[in-house]
Amino acid sequence: MMKNPYTLEQQRHLHAMTRRHFFGKSAWGIGGMALASLLNEQLFAAAKPDPLGFNPLTPKAPHFAPKAKRVIYMFMEGAPSQLDLFDYKPKLVELDMKPCPEEMIKGERFAFIQGVPKILGTPHKFARHGQCGMELSQLLPHLATVADDITLVRSMVTDAFNHAPAQIFLNTGSTQIGRPSMGSWLNYGLGSIAQDLPGFVVMISGGGLPSGGAACWSSGFLPTVYQGVQFRSLGDPVLFLSNPAGMSAKDRRRSLDALHDLNEMELNATGDPEIATRINSFELAFKMQTSAPELMDISKEPPAIHEMYGTEPGKVSFANNCLLARRLIERGTRFVQLYDRTWDHHGVSADNDIVSPGGLPKKCQEADRAMTALIKDLKQRGLLEETLVIWGGEFGRTPLNEARGGSKFLGRDHHPRAFSLWMAGGGLKPGFTLGATDDFGWNVVEDRVHVHDLQATILHCLGLDHTRLTYKFQGRNFRLTDVAGEVVKKILA
Amino acid sequence: MLVRAIATIFAWIAWALLVTNSARAAESPQLPPAAAVKVDFARDVEPIFASRCYECHGEKKSKSGFRLDDKARAFQGGDSGQPFLVPGKSSRSQLILRVAGMVKADEVMPARGERLTTQQISLLEAWIDQGASWPETVKKPHWAYVKPVRPALPKVQHSRWPRNPIDSFILARLEQEKLMPSAEADRVTMIRRLSLDLTGLPPTIAEVDAFAADRSKDAYEKLADRLLASPHFGERWARVWLDLARYADSHGYEKDPPRSMWPYRDWVINAFNRNMPFDQFTDEQIAGDMLANASLDQKIASGFNRNTMINTEGGVDAEQSRVETIVDRVNTTATVWLGSTLGCAQCHTHKYDPFTLQEYYQFFAFFNNADEPKLELPSTAQVARKEQLSGDVARLETEFKKVTPEWTAAQAAWETKATNDLARAAAATATNQAGAAPDVPTNIVKILMVAPAQRTAQQRDEISDHFRSQAPELKTVRDQLAESRKAQEALQEAIPTTLVMQERGEPRESHVLIRGNFLAPAEKVSPGVPAFLPPLPKGQPANRVTLARWLVSPDNPLTARVTMNRFWEQIFGRGLVETVEDFGTQGERPTHPQLLDWLATEFVRQNWDVKAMLRLIVTSATYRQTSRSTPELIERDPYNRLYARGPRFRVTAEAIRDIALEASGLLSPKIGGPSVFPYQPDGIWTQLYASDQWTTSKGEDKYRRGIYTFWRRTSTYPAFMSFDAPSRELICPRRQRSNTPLQALTTLNDPSFVEAAQALARRVMKESKGDAKADAAYAFRLCVARSPRSEETKRLVALYEQELAQFKQDPPAAQKMATGDLGKPPEGVSVERLAAWTVVANVLLNLDETITKG
Repeated sequence: MMKNPYTLEQQRHLHAMTRRHFFGKSAWGIGGMALASLLNEQLFAAAKPDPLGFNPLTPKAPHFAPKAKRVIYMFMEGAPSQLDLFDYKPKLVELDMKPCPEEMIKGERFAFIQGVPKILGTPHKFARHGQCGMELSQLLPHLATVADDITLVRSMVTDAFNHAPAQIFLNTGSTQIGRPSMGSWLNYGLGSIAQDLPGFVVMISGGGLPSGGAACWSSGFLPTVYQGVQFRSLGDPVLFLSNPAGMSAKDRRRSLDALHDLNEMELNATGDPEIATRINSFELAFKMQTSAPELMDISKEPPAIHEMYGTEPGKVSFANNCLLARRLIERGTRFVQLYDRTWDHHGVSADNDIVSPGGLPKKCQEADRAMTALIKDLKQRGLLEETLVIWGGEFGRTPLNEARGGSKFLGRDHHPRAFSLWMAGGGLKPGFTLGATDDFGWNVVEDRVHVHDLQATILHCLGLDHTRLTYKFQGRNFRLTDVAGEVVKKILA
Repeated sequence: MLVRAIATIFAWIAWALLVTNSARAAESPQLPPAAAVKVDFARDVEPIFASRCYECHGEKKSKSGFRLDDKARAFQGGDSGQPFLVPGKSSRSQLILRVAGMVKADEVMPARGERLTTQQISLLEAWIDQGASWPETVKKPHWAYVKPVRPALPKVQHSRWPRNPIDSFILARLEQEKLMPSAEADRVTMIRRLSLDLTGLPPTIAEVDAFAADRSKDAYEKLADRLLASPHFGERWARVWLDLARYADSHGYEKDPPRSMWPYRDWVINAFNRNMPFDQFTDEQIAGDMLANASLDQKIASGFNRNTMINTEGGVDAEQSRVETIVDRVNTTATVWLGSTLGCAQCHTHKYDPFTLQEYYQFFAFFNNADEPKLELPSTAQVARKEQLSGDVARLETEFKKVTPEWTAAQAAWETKATNDLARAAAATATNQAGAAPDVPTNIVKILMVAPAQRTAQQRDEISDHFRSQAPELKTVRDQLAESRKAQEALQEAIPTTLVMQERGEPRESHVLIRGNFLAPAEKVSPGVPAFLPPLPKGQPANRVTLARWLVSPDNPLTARVTMNRFWEQIFGRGLVETVEDFGTQGERPTHPQLLDWLATEFVRQNWDVKAMLRLIVTSATYRQTSRSTPELIERDPYNRLYARGPRFRVTAEAIRDIALEASGLLSPKIGGPSVFPYQPDGIWTQLYASDQWTTSKGEDKYRRGIYTFWRRTSTYPAFMSFDAPSRELICPRRQRSNTPLQALTTLNDPSFVEAAQALARRVMKESKGDAKADAAYAFRLCVARSPRSEETKRLVALYEQELAQFKQDPPAAQKMATGDLGKPPEGVSVERLAAWTVVANVLLNLDETITKG
């Protein structure tokens, strides 16, 4: 990986510089037309081969033939309860509200639970679905209809049990802030094929930012061109996309033409290739002014699609974001991450418990139809095969009722030792369930998948060897999976 | 000409393909040509082995039975039995075949990480072909760990070019490379470059004209002195330090609540302005709280170590947080002063540099003994007011509590009445017991039912307090007391605070933490410094004061080099050591090692005088060259590592804001004080966990320099973020310089920049009062200092005329374009004209030249 001896900034310089060689040494004067036509060819990346590998976003060959070309990661922020959705434990139902055996919690650290807690059996019914017989909760009736298309992992483990570090860990492979996120690594390793949109886009529903904040899509020590760009659901999807009041698109074009000419004069005068890159950046910005609003406008989608997803144009919702995710990958975005917030059901109030209609059942209702529609829609368009879809939170929930401050609502504390998530598409075994936990759902007893293993597997599906995708920073080669991670071969088709 | 150009590009492609040398791209790898230079083992070869091979084939591991850190073992080869080094025959040496990828895939070396570069392979080839000479001498220590020795100035041919010693080193290398320095830049270019470098602000037109007209011999030096003395010098250089100090106005992590830390920021600005020597600057920040008779300022300076994040998330383990904070202090200190990646040794002994796990926790122990209080910084007036208010409160309280026969009688009367009222109420509603009596709380009712003589002291106090809290006779005193207490609270709110360190009397024990885990303490350690560096001064207690002295000891091989390299990087865009944050074996080597050592020793010789050293750099002939370039030069030295031309690169995020505000005349020159809230789009902050509101500052605070913008760690100010400003969650030793469409959108459309364009247009209308050409030239000069060339003027005027015609057809659009918060157009200027000039001004503020130091 990355044999190029130059830093990316150096590569950009050389890139601009070699282009100029095309015109010959006296050709800075010809500038104008030839340069403009060359620069206007591409926006974020060259679809044409870039043999010198100088543009940091130029598509690059993976390490080996990939199964997936892109990722849609639905991050259920707050951590949905695996015990109420994916991992049925009759033993807990049997022992419901009995004090928990002391040996189970001996030496454990909890975020909130104090004293000897009580066992909490799931109040929801489970049933088997599809030809594969995947066992799922009644809270996810839509997902049940695509059981044969998804891959369920019941044996996830993580290292952190508070939201912010756990989210940052899942995204960057480290609980500490400062490392690049998965989407940044992918765009660094593979480049971007999006013509006029970023290669890594983040959208958020459920209000606010995830606990881990923008660190979840940071480029860390990688160049900032690889950072996730947050598309906002209201106002300009990208900050400062709109022209100032009173300035029409024509005014903007005229002013950019003047800017282009003046920058080019300066390029001729100084010979600094960086100016050519800047000219290019302004042209890309202009194109984005059209492409981004066009992307965000879902009003022209057919009624059947709106019905399928449960989307409503003009609203901020997880459903709208699911549809936008499809539109983004259709336009070449490599990594789309949807954060849906407030899956943190501790049982401290009626809208925060696992059984009240306003609690977990409501979150499931909001997500179930749309996420299932996304799978079906990708499949009917032939996109699912090459798209890796992931759905899950940052850790699991305890088999114990939290009862914080004597709360009478039912809820579960954070649990890093066992959780579930599901994936689909991009080179995975459909209709397959991996791993198992013990009778209490406390520990993983079969096919343990650590967060670093999941990350290694995601990179693998995209044709990247996680041990070879490295970046040298402060004297060391860093990678997404730190010094660990094994590809989970059992879930690969 | 064209043929030649095409030939050149093909040569480039061929070369670049070789250089990229990718296993997956190159089907049949071939050997690059051996380097045509005399190779020196210690200088050229050993560093490659150290950085890329020793990890698996060194002292600690010898995979496949092979070691490369031992001459005999290296020549002997490994388990494979294949000849590893064949002197004189690189193409038959396994070393070369393996690093060049001419072996089976699983034999290609290095097995992990990036492949060697073509240059590295070429060097290794040349070394073997030249006989693989491997001197028997003891292994030379890494260059950066050896105390710099002041080198003699090299001889140069063009002895008239150097203006100071810096130039001798630069010129000697250029002559060696058969390059010539560029001509000196013109005066207008120089005043803009120098102003941006020393104050971060562009020069005014008057300043430009005055300098251009100054015929005195030392005009340039006088200019440098004026700028070094400017109060804006401190703002510009503090910016660099604040990235290192990870200064921010919020705690970080999930909730990221605001904190008051700006007195530390102002301390840094003042320190630069007062030209505090760098050793003192170090002492006060590392151990300001512990210095003898520490002044308030010195205590504030100790906040350097308090700029760490604080996690306020529920369920956080306090000890874990504390340990993480100290880890950050250790890593930051090592990066800032030692240019070292000591952080690698937090979990295991450093793989490349000589730091052990044990030594990491010895360093940790220096920082493990402090309390972390908040320091109040009242002004003299506030101190007086505080005293006055506590006097008032004490007096009123005494009066309120005073026991006099009158009050005792009044209380007795009230008690009788209350008891009667209660009895009556009880009788009236038999079901409703004592608590129902009006206005008397249950606890008082209970006391009333106890005979006065039998009441406890507490009960007596309670009932007396209650009586006095409602007695109409005491209303005046009560109200005055409430008012004074409220004033006390308001005053408390208004007193600035800052976070500081405070050493504990009783030291905490420090332990090695296994794999960095705070729950796995191992052997006890005491404070100490890494063994390969000079020892702590003898006879001094091993504490932070001594650590600070050690960091700036003339024997320390790193601090002066690392610091001078950072100054150089600020001025020239890259350090002499490009990896400013890593002087270890994995870092880059200096391009001009002797110059770096000369600068480092000079810095110490000048008693760590920061302004003197910066003056030396900016008055050098090297710095004063034009930054204009030729294709030949760019091809030869694309990144200007040889300094055959002057520096040219984009300014930082904050400077982009400052330039726009200064050019448009909006900038407030106010220095220091609490951080401010310039315009930010709605919904940036309200998205955060704690739903704070960003309320745009009023008046001049809306137009302050970028350094004063409120720095929230989880939500970097958008216009700064797109221009590579860091979050400041952790140290940022080196900012990137990206060039992206999001930046273009920011300077084109961010309302702050649009307002600056509107203001710039108004300023031109007010100050220029010429024809369109003159106006265009004036606006141009405000942005880039120089006068426009005629083709530039023409282009600007053409745009102005197009836009004027357009806005004349659409007056409402003109109204929107030209006016906003700035209000009506100035007298005598039509809104259409102003709108057209606003569009032109928007273009000018977006020029590459405007946001570039060139």
